[in-house]
Amino acid sequence: MQTAKTMKHYHKELSEAIENKFLRQTLDKFAVAYRANRQLIFADVNAKELIADIAAAKAATIGRYDELYDQFKAEAEKRGVIVHRAADGEEANRIICSIAGANKVKKIIKSKSMTGEEIHINRALEAIGCEVTETDLGEWIIQLRNEGPSHMVMPAIHLSRHQVADTFTGAVGEKQDSDIAKLVKVARRELRSRFAAADMGISGANFAIASSGTVAICTNEGNGRLTTTLPRVHVAICGIDKLVPSLHDAMRVLKVLPRNATSQILTSYVSWMTGATECTLNPDKKKIMHVVFLDNGRSALAKDPVCGPALNCVRCGACANVCPVFRLVGGHKMGHIYIGAIGLILTYFFHGHDKAGNLVQNCINCEACKDVCAAGIDLPAIIREIRARLNEEEGSPMASSLLAKVLANRKLFHTLLRFGKWAQRPVTGGTAFIRHLPEIFMPGGNFRALPAIAPKAFRDQWPGIKRKLSAGSKCRVGIFAGCAQDFVYPEQIRAAVEIFSAKGCTVEFPLEQSCCGLPVLSMGERMAAQSVAAQNVKAFAAGGYDYIVTLCASCASHIKNNYTRILSGQPELAADTARFVERIRDFSSFTRDVLQLGAPDLVKSGETVTYHAPCHLCRGLGVQEQPRALLADAAEYKPSAEEEVCCGFGGAYSVKFPEVSVQLLDMKLNNAEASGASTLVTDCPGCVMQLRGGEEKRGKKLKVEHMAEFLSGKLKK
Amino acid sequence: MTEAEEQILELFKKKAAVVSAKVVEVKDLEEAMSYALDVCEKKDFCELVYVGEGEKGGRYGQATQKMFAAPGLSDRQFGGLEKAGREKGFTVIREGMRGYVSGIDVGFSIADLGIADTGCCVLVSGGEDARLAGMVCEIHVVALAKSKIVNSLDDAENFMNGIMDKGAMFISFISGPSRTADIERVLTIGVHGPLELHVALMES
Ligand code: SF4
Ligand code: SF4
Repeated sequence: MQTAKTMKHYHKELSEAIENKFLRQTLDKFAVAYRANRQLIFADVNAKELIADIAAAKAATIGRYDELYDQFKAEAEKRGVIVHRAADGEEANRIICSIAGANKVKKIIKSKSMTGEEIHINRALEAIGCEVTETDLGEWIIQLRNEGPSHMVMPAIHLSRHQVADTFTGAVGEKQDSDIAKLVKVARRELRSRFAAADMGISGANFAIASSGTVAICTNEGNGRLTTTLPRVHVAICGIDKLVPSLHDAMRVLKVLPRNATSQILTSYVSWMTGATECTLNPDKKKIMHVVFLDNGRSALAKDPVCGPALNCVRCGACANVCPVFRLVGGHKMGHIYIGAIGLILTYFFHGHDKAGNLVQNCINCEACKDVCAAGIDLPAIIREIRARLNEEEGSPMASSLLAKVLANRKLFHTLLRFGKWAQRPVTGGTAFIRHLPEIFMPGGNFRALPAIAPKAFRDQWPGIKRKLSAGSKCRVGIFAGCAQDFVYPEQIRAAVEIFSAKGCTVEFPLEQSCCGLPVLSMGERMAAQSVAAQNVKAFAAGGYDYIVTLCASCASHIKNNYTRILSGQPELAADTARFVERIRDFSSFTRDVLQLGAPDLVKSGETVTYHAPCHLCRGLGVQEQPRALLADAAEYKPSAEEEVCCGFGGAYSVKFPEVSVQLLDMKLNNAEASGASTLVTDCPGCVMQLRGGEEKRGKKLKVEHMAEFLSGKLKK
Repeated sequence: MTEAEEQILELFKKKAAVVSAKVVEVKDLEEAMSYALDVCEKKDFCELVYVGEGEKGGRYGQATQKMFAAPGLSDRQFGGLEKAGREKGFTVIREGMRGYVSGIDVGFSIADLGIADTGCCVLVSGGEDARLAGMVCEIHVVALAKSKIVNSLDDAENFMNGIMDKGAMFISFISGPSRTADIERVLTIGVHGPLELHVALMES
């Protein structure tokens, strides 16, 4: 549970988590194993298609909770169940406490319910004198330790067997061995007597099926079945977002949920509970069954056009499993009750803006979560939206509003960038790196060497370059530079221009273009993001380009995936925007697929090269094969482990959370060096900046190059 | 058996094995029951997890009498089973499962459906004894007629809708024994439910 009040305190907690060796090892192992297992378990089904189906079906029900609730209630009541609806956690707790009171309940057993955690139902029941026992093994462990879950599916993943043994020793009053099988036996033995003695069982719900009033739960341990069968009273707690119209909708989710959560085709048990079934303890031999639906902001969220899809979440936990930040800091630092990407989001909506303020900053925008989400939710986009709203509610932090203001004026922005090179001169020592940037300019940013602003920006070199170019017949290419290449790495664009010309393109560089806007959008500066987007669309509108190519994966994916939405308020630009978005291409796929650059064009050397796949290229644009094929044609390509894991740059993220960024960088460079290659190539200037800076500090074991530079050096002259 | 049925059967066996269910093939219900009795005979005595009234007065330990529960059977079916079990020295019951929450050796159920692409058995059981027998036993033996195996989750929908539309009912999908990976992600079998699941596939 994340509770840090200030950013400073949050940083301190993050550093402590990063220092926790057991946590690091566990989560590292888990991250690697999860990805491999996920791939295996989805081998026989089309994951993308299933997920798209789920997202479409969920989108169709999102505004229909009232209607589905009414139908559920009518059907369940026909079958002897009492159905409630609570506006917030307090009301839900009141309802459940009064059910306990009316049925003279003393002892309660629970199977897992994240919704129960959300409303702190245990505290409420204990306050009226009930004894509550969690029976999911992980939940029981953290209950005994008085902790919150650190993962939605594996709540005790942060604990070692030794810690569990100590906890059980305290609970049972006998020294316990740390052998895992034995510890599991302890739970089996201890909890069975609680099951037998309980008056009431509380469960969660994975689905609430409106057409038949059915509640369904998925469990592996079998505790859910005992919880719902043994006691006289059963209460299911269920967010209204778990309502689905029919069995078919539940089955559709069931094909993905266990696969995505735990790499299982199905959980050991799926229990479909329709109505009050037999319970011999009650006079009428029927179970006393209640279903309590919780709203707690969900109805309002359903009406939210941008963040609403967060309600499609099926709580598989995958967005944490693949999150590089979660992997480093664990769930207690990556969520309040709900964990991972969805945790950052739901904390804002369910637990208050104050609890979410720090958390939502801690996303590097690598899109790994979006890529695996069982419900197809664009999680990083929602996180960015929440940052924007927090800025609007509380005022922007100084740095982001300053940048936003400057960006609104392209000339001013570019002048300032040009000026940067004078301002930095004393600290670069005449090299291409800022070696000793004073701490006050970049607190904590010194873990890598930062590049210097180039002596002459690409836009200032362009007239000279253009004069020497001849027109080609193949196609007309407009270059979109992005700030990093224009002002820091102009040589990368020059390399690309050389390749494009050699392959027969006419190359243009419209000077009115500006920053793509992703940095300000990530800081939550919506207006600035809109104004630069419009500026760029206009800059390319008249050029008649067949392709607009950028060497920056982040620019490309931002334009492709976000511009249409960002500019939806400007219908007069709609046609130009559509054309711009349609024509934008990343360097590698353009070079490979359109220009067909390959072995015949290149002098293949014996140089060994490995690859870092930029997040926004491999996931953002789904470009995976082309860069590797190019490398294999030009040199000896040696794949490294975890090529598609984020390098830790993330634009401003690396400055905001240097303690996380440096760890990601280290893992990346360790893997790249372990490949045995001498050169590390990537497809994005941001990644080049991070990786080259890291290697500079490490003593340059690897040469780091952008794909364009690397290929231009191999071009047959 | 047609080629399609053959394929479905093979798929079921393959997927059930993945979830560590033990699959055997038998002729009919009678043979399934005698298989279950065999399983009971070969296993060790049940490790009782809870005995007695209230938590404080509870005792734990090894059982000294083998318990076999088969709540879902007809009188005639149960009669034969009870007799055969008694001859082996077991106590065979079909009701009052609440008295045995501390654990029994074998629970025997008849599945209403099998789903091949998930390797799971579908048990429809409104009665609490039928449900409890499969929860408190150490080994759960489920008899499933080959003719009742459908190909996929989708194919189970009609069957389930037919039941859920009618009235109150508890439907369970069971695939494999109970399991947890909550401590250090180490897969451990048999936490709150059965330690083993056996599926006896019946020719008829
Ligand atoms: S975008 Fe990346 S860093 Fe952000 S929450 Fe998703 S996985 Fe984590
Ligand atoms: S947001 Fe998506 S990936 Fe995360 S828990 Fe929900 S469904 Fe799973």
